[in-house]
Amino acid sequence: MASGQESSSTTLMDLISYDPMVPPAAPAPAPVAVPSTLGRPKSSQKQLVLHVFPKLAVYNSVDPSVAPSLLMLHQQCEDNNVLRYVYYYLARILSDSGAQGLSPGGGIPTPNWDALADIDAVGGVTRADVIPRIVHQLSSEATNADTEYHSRRLAALKALTSASPSNSDILEKIYEIVFGILEKVGDAKQKRRKGIFGKQGGDKESNIRSNLQYAALSALRRLPLDPGNPIFLHRAIQGILFSDPVAIRHALAIISDIATRDPYSVAMALGQCKFVYSGALHDILHLHDVLARVSLARLCHTLYRARALDARPDITSQFSSLLFQLLLDPSDRVCFEAILCVLGKFDNTERTEERAAGWVRLTREVLKLPETPSVKLKETDNPTAKVNMDKPSSKAKRPQPIIKLVMRRLESSFRSFSRPVLHAAARVVQEMGKSRAAAYALGVYDVDEGVRLHAYFDEPLDSELSRSNSEGTRKASLLASNGPGSMDTIASLLASLMELVRTTVACECVYVRAMVIKALIWMQNPHESLEELESIIACELTDPAWPSALLNDILLTLHARFKASPDMAVTLLEIARIFATKVPGKIDADVLQLLWKTCLVGAGPDGKHTALEAVTIVLDLPPPQPGSMSGFTSVDRVSASDPKSALALQRLVQAAVWFLGENANYAAAEYAWESATPPGTALMMLDADKMVAAASSRNPTLAGALTRLQRCAFSGSWEIRIVAAHALITIAIRSGEPYRLQIYEFLHALSLGGVQSQFSQSQLSNGEDQGASGTGLGSLISPMIKVLDDMYRAQDDLNRDMRNHDNNKQEWTDEELKKLYETHEKLLDLVSLFCFVPKVKYLPLGPPSAKLIDIYRNRHNISASSGMNDPAVATGISDLVYETKEDHKESEESNAIDPELAMAWAAGLEDGLLGNNAPAMEKVNEFLAGAGTDAPDVEEEENITSRPSVTYDDLWAKSILETYEAEEDDARSSGTSSPESTGSVETSISSHFGGMNYPSLFSSRPSGHGASQYSENRSNTRRYNSSTGGSNFEGMGSPVREEPPSYSSSVLQRFESFENPLAGQGAQSFGSRDEDTSSQNPQFGEALYDFTAGGDDELSLTAGEEVEIEYEVDGWCYVKKKRPGRDGRMAGLVPVLYVSSS
Amino acid sequence: MKNNYVQILYFRNSFQGVPGEDRQHWRSFLVKLGADNLKGARSEELFVALQKSVYIVYAMLGDVSIYVVGKDEYDELTLSEVIYVIMSCVKDVCGKTPTERLFLDKYGKICLCLDEIVWKGMLENTDKNRIRRLTKLRPPTEV
Repeated sequence: MASGQESSSTTLMDLISYDPMVPPAAPAPAPVAVPSTLGRPKSSQKQLVLHVFPKLAVYNSVDPSVAPSLLMLHQQCEDNNVLRYVYYYLARILSDSGAQGLSPGGGIPTPNWDALADIDAVGGVTRADVIPRIVHQLSSEATNADTEYHSRRLAALKALTSASPSNSDILEKIYEIVFGILEKVGDAKQKRRKGIFGKQGGDKESNIRSNLQYAALSALRRLPLDPGNPIFLHRAIQGILFSDPVAIRHALAIISDIATRDPYSVAMALGQCKFVYSGALHDILHLHDVLARVSLARLCHTLYRARALDARPDITSQFSSLLFQLLLDPSDRVCFEAILCVLGKFDNTERTEERAAGWVRLTREVLKLPETPSVKLKETDNPTAKVNMDKPSSKAKRPQPIIKLVMRRLESSFRSFSRPVLHAAARVVQEMGKSRAAAYALGVYDVDEGVRLHAYFDEPLDSELSRSNSEGTRKASLLASNGPGSMDTIASLLASLMELVRTTVACECVYVRAMVIKALIWMQNPHESLEELESIIACELTDPAWPSALLNDILLTLHARFKASPDMAVTLLEIARIFATKVPGKIDADVLQLLWKTCLVGAGPDGKHTALEAVTIVLDLPPPQPGSMSGFTSVDRVSASDPKSALALQRLVQAAVWFLGENANYAAAEYAWESATPPGTALMMLDADKMVAAASSRNPTLAGALTRLQRCAFSGSWEIRIVAAHALITIAIRSGEPYRLQIYEFLHALSLGGVQSQFSQSQLSNGEDQGASGTGLGSLISPMIKVLDDMYRAQDDLNRDMRNHDNNKQEWTDEELKKLYETHEKLLDLVSLFCFVPKVKYLPLGPPSAKLIDIYRNRHNISASSGMNDPAVATGISDLVYETKEDHKESEESNAIDPELAMAWAAGLEDGLLGNNAPAMEKVNEFLAGAGTDAPDVEEEENITSRPSVTYDDLWAKSILETYEAEEDDARSSGTSSPESTGSVETSISSHFGGMNYPSLFSSRPSGHGASQYSENRSNTRRYNSSTGGSNFEGMGSPVREEPPSYSSSVLQRFESFENPLAGQGAQSFGSRDEDTSSQNPQFGEALYDFTAGGDDELSLTAGEEVEIEYEVDGWCYVKKKRPGRDGRMAGLVPVLYVSSS
Repeated sequence: MKNNYVQILYFRNSFQGVPGEDRQHWRSFLVKLGADNLKGARSEELFVALQKSVYIVYAMLGDVSIYVVGKDEYDELTLSEVIYVIMSCVKDVCGKTPTERLFLDKYGKICLCLDEIVWKGMLENTDKNRIRRLTKLRPPTEV
C-alpha cells in the first residue's frame, strides 16, 4: 500500500474507478482525470456523483493530489450535487491531520500521502502545497456578496472552518470573513419567525440575511473562543436576535462559554442590549431547538451564581427565574440540564459548597410561574412533559416547590421505556445524591426532610429567587406545596422517587443498572439501613453480564461517596466486600485496596476496628469450592467457581493479608515504642493460651488480626502463606508485648510444622501439598525468627547487665555503652529489613535501653537520625521532618518526631522512589475528575491474567529491597533469596507495584516532590494553596492524627473540589498534604504590568506592585499582595509573565 | 460479524480530534459493545452505555449498527436526538430501512448528510428538510 505514489494511487484510483454497474468498455474516470470530464457535462457529472465521490468517501483520508482537480471542478462546474461533494472533500483535505494515513482509526486505510509525495521523484502533491490554494479559493468565494453565489458562499465558509486552528494565518482570515459578514448582517432587526422549519416566509433579502447570519455564527462557534474581545461577545449577543434557531443556539453557546470566564462582562453586555428585560431570552424558551435551551440553562446558571454579580441581585434574579422556568421544559434534556444547574452541577469542578447550596436550593426554592402564557409550550417534543403541561392554568400559576416539580418529572422519566432517558434520570438522581451528601457534610442542611412542605401562596417570590450563594446559611424554610392539605414532605417525595429508582434495576441494560446503583449509593444516607442496597448489589453481581469496567466504576463511586461522607466508611466497606466476594475476578484489586485504606483512615478512632474487620472479613471466607454458585443471594458466600475467579479471589486475599500486616498496628493503635507495658517477665511466663487471652483482652483489634493472619499463614495457598508470614513479622516488630512473643511462638511452631493440627479442624484444606515442614515456609521464616531471637537475646543481655550494674552500683563505662549502642544500631538495621520502623523512637532492646542510649548519644553528639546509614537521612526524610518541626515548636522535645509521621513519610518516599503514578489513585482521580476521553480497554478473556495484582515479588521488593537499598547494607538476607520468591507466579511489574502504593497507612506520604502534582490540576492546587494558610501540619498526616478528612473538618478540605478531591494532590495518600508550601522560602517579586483578573481565582495587579510569589503552575503564579487591592483581594493567580521575581 | 465493514466505514466520521491509537481502541470497544448487545435488537431500538464519562448511544438500523459518542453537553439524551436524526436521514437517503448493500451504495450521500448533522464534532442541523436542502447545496432558508 505504501510502496509509492504510483502503487498507492493505483490502488485508490482503481477502486474509485471500479464499478460493477459500469460496463468495462466505459471505464470510470479517475479523479485526476476529472477536468477532462467537464466537457462531457451530464454523464460525467452523474458518474462523479454516483460512483466516484461516494467511493472516495470510504477511505480514511483524501489524497491531496486530488485537490487540483477538485479546485478546477469548484471553478468550472455548476452542478450543485457535484459541488457539494467538492466542498466536502476540500474540507476533508483541510481537516486531515496528515498523520492519519499512518494510524488509521477507521475507513479503508490510506498511506501517508505527504510522505509518499516526498519520495516521489517527479514531485508529488503534498497537503502543504494545496492547502493555501484551497484556502485562497474558498476565502474569495466566502466573501463574494453576489446573490447568485449565495449557497456556494455558505458552503465555502463552512469548508474553511475545517482548517486546522493551529494555522494562525488561516484563522485570521476566517475571523475576518466571519466578522465582515456579521458586520453587514448582524445588526438587522428582524422579527423572529416562530419555528423556522414551518412555512417559508420573508422576502429574499431577509432570507439571505438569515442564511448568512446562520453561516457566520456557525463558523464563529467552531473558531477558538476569544473571551477578551468585546466584538466577539457583541456579535454573539446579537445572534440571540437572529431568526435562525441554529444560529441562536450557537450564539447562546458562545455566550455561555464566555460567561464561565467573564460573567460580569456578559451580564453587562446582555443588560445593555436590554435582552433580559425585553424578553428576548424568554423567547428562547419557545424555541424549538433543544440545545439552544440547554445553552440558555447553562448561561443562566453561570450568571446567577457568579460572584462578580453579587452586587446586582436585579440581574441575577432574572437569570435564576429563567432557569427555574426551564425546569418545566417539555424536553427531558433541557429539564435535566436545568435540574443539574439548580443542583450546582455544571462541570466537574464545583466546590462542595456549591453542591451543598444546590441541594438547599432544590429543597427550598419555589417557582412562581410567569404571567405570560409562555409555560404553555405547545410544541412538546416529549410526551412525558404533559405531566406538567396539562395542569389547569389556574393551578399552574401557583407557586410550586421546585423539589416537587423535579420529583414528579423524574418519576415520569423513570416510567419511560427508553434506555437513554432512564440512564439520564438515574444520573440526575446520582447528582442529587451528591449535592445532598455535600449539604450534609457541610452541615448547612438543617431542614428536616420529614417536615411537611408548608402551604405557601402569597409571599412575593422575587426576593426568594434572587440569590443562590447565600442559601447555605439561610434558615427560613420556603417550602411550598401544591395546595392546602398536601402531606408531601421531602422525605416522602424522595422515598417515592427512590422506590421507582430501585425498580429500574430490573432494566436489562447493565449500564442503566449501573447508573441506578450509583444513584442508590449516593442517595444512601449514613443512618439509613443498608440491607436493601446490599441485597440489590449482591443480587446484581450474580449476573455474569456485568462488564469489569462497569463494576470498577461502581467501586470508584464508593470511593467518591466515602470522600463525601467519611462516616459511611464501614457501610461502604460492607458494600465493597460484596464485590470482593461476588466478582473477585472482575474488580481491580488496586482500587479496592485504595478504598480499604481510605475507609480505614476515614473511619476515625472509633470505627477503625470495625473498618479493619470489614476489610479482613475477606480472609474469613471459605475457599471457593467448585460449583459453589448456589449461594446467589448470600453475600458471605464466594462466587468463584471458575479457576480464573478463584485465582483473582486468591490475589484479593493476598492483598488483604498484606493490608492487614501493614495496617493492623495503625488500626489497633498498638506500637512497640508506645507500649504501656514493657516486656514484663510476668507476661512472658504465661502459657500460650493465657497469653492469647491477655492479648485479646488488651487489644481485640490486633488480636483479631493476628488470629486471621495465623490462620492464613498455614491454610492458604503458598502465596498467601508467604504474605501472611511477612505480615506477622511486621506486626511482631511493630507491636509490644505480648503480641510479639505470641507471634514469635507461632512462627517458631510454624517453622517446625507443628501448628497445623491446632487449626486444621476449623479450616478446609485447599488440597495443596503443604510440604514436609507443614507449611513450606521454613526458609522464609528462619530469618524472621532469627531477628526476633536476636532482639530477645539482646534484651536479656541488657537486663542482665543492668542488674549487674545495679547490684554492683557500678557506672556504665563508655566502652559498655558503645557496645550497647552498636547492638542497638545493628538490631535497628536488621529490623528495618523487614518493615519500616521509626528509627528515632524504635528500641529493639526495649524501653530500659532508652536512657543508656541517650547517654551515649549525648556524650558523642550523635544525632538520633544522623548518618547516611539512616534511610531517613539518605532519602531526605529527616529534612522534611526537621523543617516541619521548626514550624511547630509545640513538639515536646527536640528529638520527638512523631514516629508514625516519620513512618508515613518514609514509606511514602519509598513509593515515590518507585514511581509516582499509582494506577489506582490515577483511576480514582480520573473518575472523580470526570475524565475519560481516553480509549477504553476492551475486555478480553486474557485480561484477567494481566491485571495488576499483588505478588510476592512485589511485596518483598517493596518491603525488603527498598529498605535494603536505602541502607546499603550487605545483609542481603531474609526472603530475598528464598526459593519462594523465585517461584512467584505473576507477571506484574515491580515498578507497577511501586506505583501501586500498597495501602499501608505507613505509606501515607506527603509526596511533595516536584511540580508534577501542581501541574496535574491547576485549579485544585490553586484552591489548596489559597486556603492552606498555616495549617499545613494538620493536613499532612491525617492517618497519624486520626482525623477523618471530612468536608467539614477544615477549610482546606472544604476548598477541595467536590468532584475531584484527590486530583492535583497526585498520588499522595488520603489527607496528607503537600508540604512544599511549608518548606519553600517565600519568593518576592514585582508586577511588571497591569493585570485585570478575569476569573474568581485570579488577582488584579498594578504595575510596580510588590508581591509574594507562592508557587508557579502552568504559566500562572499564585501571588500574595501586601495589602488588598481595590477589589479587596489579597491573593490569587496572575500570568507568570506579569511578575518578575526578585 | 456481518456488519463489521459498515461499522468501520461509519467510524471514519466519528471521534473528531481523537488520536489514531485511541480510535482503534474505541472502535474495538464499540464493536464489542454491539456484539454483546445488538444481537436480536429491534431496528431503531436505542441502547446506551457510559464509558468513564463518555456517553454512547447506539442502535441497529436494518443491517447497520450506528454508534453516536459524546461527552459533557452531548449526553445520552442529546445523543438520542442525534441518532434519531441520523437514522431518519439514512432512511431517507436509502428510501427504506437500509440493508448493508444499500447503505454502501448510498454511502456518499450519507456522508454528506452526516456532514450537515455533525460539524467538527458539534451537532449542527437536526431538521430533515434543512439537511436535505444543504446536501443539495441549497441554502437553509430558500431565497
